[in-house]
Amino acid sequence: MIRSVIITHGNLGRELVQVAEKILEQKLDIEIIAFDWQGDGSAMISQLEAFIARNQGSEIVIFTDMFGGSPSNISTRFVGPGIEVLSGINLPGLLKFFCCGEHNGSFRQVIKKVEQEARDGINIISEYLGDKK
Amino acid sequence: MIEKKQQIFNKLGLHARAAAKLSHLANMFSADIYLIYNEDKVNAKSLLGILTLAASVGNEIMLQAAGADEQEAIRAIGDLFDRKFDEEI
Repeated sequence: MIRSVIITHGNLGRELVQVAEKILEQKLDIEIIAFDWQGDGSAMISQLEAFIARNQGSEIVIFTDMFGGSPSNISTRFVGPGIEVLSGINLPGLLKFFCCGEHNGSFRQVIKKVEQEARDGINIISEYLGDKK
Repeated sequence: MIEKKQQIFNKLGLHARAAAKLSHLANMFSADIYLIYNEDKVNAKSLLGILTLAASVGNEIMLQAAGADEQEAIRAIGDLFDRKFDEEI
């Protein structure tokens, strides 16, 4: 089973998870860590270390809000066998991860599918409509 | 392979929560299941795929299934549409 944690600036992660829970009508099994604007990131590191320690033996995906941001940069140090960071997570990506038996396949394949869905969820609507005409 | 025309009865059409229910249900079957609306054909097991149809109330879509449990799949999905995705009394 893949364990997941979302780390974002402020409460963005909590809001994303709550919206996904509303859409999927289920409680999501995901750890939520908010980056403290005032802090130096040490609290976030401790929380992340504790999460990883609690889930040793499981594959872990760390969702972050923006590549290059502190949550993402700090998470990057934990990347290794069985631990991936997926930056720029959005609602489509999160829904893909939790919806509908999407955990078929290897850890890598699951993460790639989530990444693709998150990318596919971004559209300039006029161009999208244009393609369909 | 079987097909069934299906009308959309729920007021909000194939919006996010309805699409989640539909894709969740579709994933319970081994058959390949598609929704066809206008000229678009999407995998019923993909939540985002369903959302791209932007199909609204009163419109008709085509359900298509192919596989060992295609009959059961079409029946169950058709029933979900008929129940208005359990959103309305």
